Formats: sequence, structure tokens, C-alpha cells
Amino acid sequence: MSRILRLVRLEIWRQVIAWSGAWWFLVTLIIGQAVAPLLGLFVWFHVPGAGAQVGSYYLAVICVALMTASFENHTFAQSIYSGDIAAALLRPQPPVIGPLGENLAIRLWMLLLGIPLITLVGVSVGASFSPLAILAAVPALTVAAALRFLFVWTLAMAAFWTERVHAVVAFGGVLIILLGGSAAPNALLPDPLRTIAQILPFRSMLGFPAELAAGTLAPADAAAGYAISAFWTAALGCCAVGTWRLGIRRYTTVGA
Amino acid sequence: MTYRVPVRDTGLMAAARALVRRQYRDVHAVQNVTFQIATGQVVGFLGRNGAGKTTTMKILAGILHPTSGRVRVLGQVPWRRHNHYLREIALIRGSQPIGDAPELTVLDSFRYQQVLYDIAESQFKHNLAELSALLDLDSILQRQVRALSLGERMRAGLALALVYRPKILFLDEPTIGLDISAAKVVRTFIAEYSAQTGATVLLTSHSMADVESLCARLILVDDGAIAFDGPRDELRSIFAPTKLIRVTVADDDADLAGCGDILQRDGNQWLLRVDRDAAPAITARILSRFAVADLSVEEPSLENVMDQAYQRLRRTKDVTS
Repeated sequence: MSRILRLVRLEIWRQVIAWSGAWWFLVTLIIGQAVAPLLGLFVWFHVPGAGAQVGSYYLAVICVALMTASFENHTFAQSIYSGDIAAALLRPQPPVIGPLGENLAIRLWMLLLGIPLITLVGVSVGASFSPLAILAAVPALTVAAALRFLFVWTLAMAAFWTERVHAVVAFGGVLIILLGGSAAPNALLPDPLRTIAQILPFRSMLGFPAELAAGTLAPADAAAGYAISAFWTAALGCCAVGTWRLGIRRYTTVGA
Repeated sequence: MTYRVPVRDTGLMAAARALVRRQYRDVHAVQNVTFQIATGQVVGFLGRNGAGKTTTMKILAGILHPTSGRVRVLGQVPWRRHNHYLREIALIRGSQPIGDAPELTVLDSFRYQQVLYDIAESQFKHNLAELSALLDLDSILQRQVRALSLGERMRAGLALALVYRPKILFLDEPTIGLDISAAKVVRTFIAEYSAQTGATVLLTSHSMADVESLCARLILVDDGAIAFDGPRDELRSIFAPTKLIRVTVADDDADLAGCGDILQRDGNQWLLRVDRDAAPAITARILSRFAVADLSVEEPSLENVMDQAYQRLRRTKDVTS
């Protein structure tokens, strides 16, 4: 286990260095992640019934979005198209370490470069968080990070079959925006959309940790949210492993 | 190894039909390829473009899973890619010698290899020092990969692949694009590494200089099947059963037309092509009949041999099809 952790740490370090030369591209990624929550903020901040915490909620959504953003369609899928994955396959380490390390490195950069935006929005909306609420949100944020990686990585594996992987991942992104709590906080969605959104994994990827951080959830709802997140983490984990096995079998038999 | 590739006729209608009903064709990239390589051998794996060299090499390295057949390397099934197998092999592609991020320095990449292959610090330092000396790496260790020339990349790529002392090297066009000096450094290094460590080397290359200087045994593949497997000189005798006699005669009126095929004549200098078996007798005849100022018997270059081999294989294929 310690070797795996060392390899993950090393991969993050390598990728942090590798991405250091692409700060301008990272800025565009940050903007891309922040646009939908900002639009939601502008709309719901001026709706009287949205609640006092809506500003804090959307600030938390922006933070969660930056810390869980996944771009395996740009990174992992590209390695399939370019053939670089062949070299990765011959490294004596679990194949997920490469995409995972790159994912975490990009998130680190996005959080770092996104600090001015987070500060600006926080000051503008007068956001406030209680330390206890933030503490309650930390595990949910970790699960959200894992979920979103598994979701996007699985979608990006479509590159084993098609060259149109960006369309596949973009569709997944739209679902996260609509049902994840970016277009509207889950509590403000009309029924039955709200119930559907609560059951699907997208809220666990974005809105659930933000709701916990903003302190808008009752303990029972928080517990239910954690249960749903745990279920989807296991389910998407199985999906990722299954898709990897199918994809790599296709890759290694159809040609590299 | 058979690929199934989609095919369709040209035109809009054919494209529309293909949306509903796709048609496929089987492409046999490699078939009936059987060979064994003993530990420590350096073998040239040759063939025309598309002959199946790289596909075979990828199967042996573990990247490709063959559709049928049996492959064992170091007693392992390559495509299972067990860690203990991957630690014993290295695949080096001349077209892409370093797979690492271009922002990293060469030393960063070495450190990564150290962790990846669990190399103890003392062993790592020893190996790095040795490789640096052999490949003259000191000046490039602190440089970013993106700033390296092709030759420097190849040297760094070789060293990165060998710092964990693999037992088997798969070299795919290791000198492609390199200038003469850089190619010579790479060739010399591969020969020394193999001799010192007893590593087995399978080399594909279109550079006959690589093959000539490294490989005593050649495997020639054509259309995914083995066309020749044996010593380099045997390949010459099969595909180029001739020798060249270069003669300079003292007499301006000497006529060597009956001694062999005249390939070239420049004043008193003649270049003749003769049957390999008849070369000693013809040489003796020339020496006895003419006033010879200079005479040499030459083997045809490996490049010519390969060219003749490819031409003959192509003719055979045309006839059979």
C-alpha cells in the first residue's frame, strides 16, 4: 500500500510540474467550471424565496467544482488517441495511477489559481460558513472528488471505441450542471425532479458537499445523502473497472 | 494477430448504408510466426513497412493481445503484464524515446524510474553514473525533456529504459532520425549493454548499419509471416548468391567481359558480379590471364541483400496471388 501511495504522490508531483507550463489553459478550465455556478448565483441570489444561505451555497459549489473537476477527456482519452497509453501499460504500477495523479494535480492547480475568484465571490455575496458545517462537508467533498473522477474517467474510456469522446463527456457535464446543484440548489428544484436528483449521483458530485458546507441540510438529509454517495461510489467504481477491462481488451486486440 | 477493420465503398450512399450495415474485413497483421530467441542473443527483426514487425514486438512486450497463438517471454504471458514481467523488459521506440511530460527534467524522469522500479538508492546512483558515462548524459540531466535534441532524447530514453537493468530490450527503430555520430553512439551502447549484462535484444530497424553492427541473427518477416530466420551471412547467400569482384588491370586492352556480369567499367577499373560459388575460380582466372594491378572480392552490402530479398518476396507474392 505504501508503494501505491508513493507512486500516487510521485505522479501528482510529476503532473504538477508538467501542468505548470499550461497556466493559461488552467485559467480557461477554471472559468469553464465557474460559469454555471456563477449564473446560478446571479439568478437565485435575487430570488426572495431562495434562502439567506444561497450566496454561501454557490460559493461552496464553486469551491467544490474546482476541487472535483475532472478532465479525463483532455488527458486520459488523449493518451488513447496518441498511443501514449501503450507506454503507460508497460509501467509496473496499477493503470489508474497515471490518470488519478494527473487529475489531482490539475485540481491542485485549479484551486490555487481559483483563489482570487473564490475570494471575490465570497466578499461579494457576504458568504459565511460555520466550522462545524465545513467539517461535516469534508468527507462529502472527498467522496464527490472520487465520484466525479470515476464518472468522467469512465466516460472518457469511450475513447477506446469512438473518437468523439468530448461529446460523451460534455453530455455528462450537462447532467452534473442540471441535476448536480449548479443550475439550482436541490431544495429549490420542483418535484419530482428534486427526488430524481437526490437519487442520481450528480448531486453527490457537486451540490451535496456544498449544501453541507452552507449548513442547509437537516441531519437526516445529510445521512441519506452520505448513503446515496456511498452507493454511487461503489457503483461507479465497478463501472470504471468493468469499462477499463472491456476497453483495454479492445485496445490490445484491435491495435495500439 | 488479426484485426477487423471497417470497409465501405466510396460515395454518400455507401456512407449512409454503412450507418445501418457496417462491413468489415479481416487483416492478418501477423500469422504463423514461430521463433525462439536464446538468452543474450541480439536478433534483427526485419521486414518492409507493414510487414508485422512492430505488431509482433508489441505482442512480445505485452501491449497487444494476439487473437490466437502462444507467446512466452521469460516464461511469462506478456499481455498479462504482471509487474514482475514488466520490470524485466523495456520497449524503446525511436520515434518516441521518452514518454514523460516534456516539462520534467531528465533527472526528474530518472527519479521517477527509481520509484517505479524500486531501485535502491545506492544501485540507482551506480547505474546512473555508469549510464551517464556511457551515454554522455551529464550535460543533459538538468535539462527539460522538451529542450533536448532528437539525439539527446534517444540517449536519455535509452538510459531511462536501462536504469533498472531489464533483461530484454525491444528496440523499435532506435536510430531513426539520428545523425551518423548519434546513431553510432546508440549502436555502440546497445552492443556494450548486451555484452555486459547478457540482455536479450530484439531490434527492428531499416538502418542496415544497425543490423550489420549488432545482429548476427536475422528474422525476416513479410506479410505477417517469417520469410527467413538464420545467420546474417546465410541471408546473403540465399537472397544475394553473388559476390562483387573489383579489378584494376594494367593493360588498357584487357577485356573481362567473359568473367562475369559487368556492373561498372571506368577505364582500367572493372566491377563484376559473379556467382558466389564461382568467385574463387573466376578470381584465379583473372589473376592468371590479366596483368592485375589491384583486385578485391566484396560481399554485396546488406542493403542490397535486403532490397533483393524484398523484391523476391514481392514477386513470389504476386505469383501466388
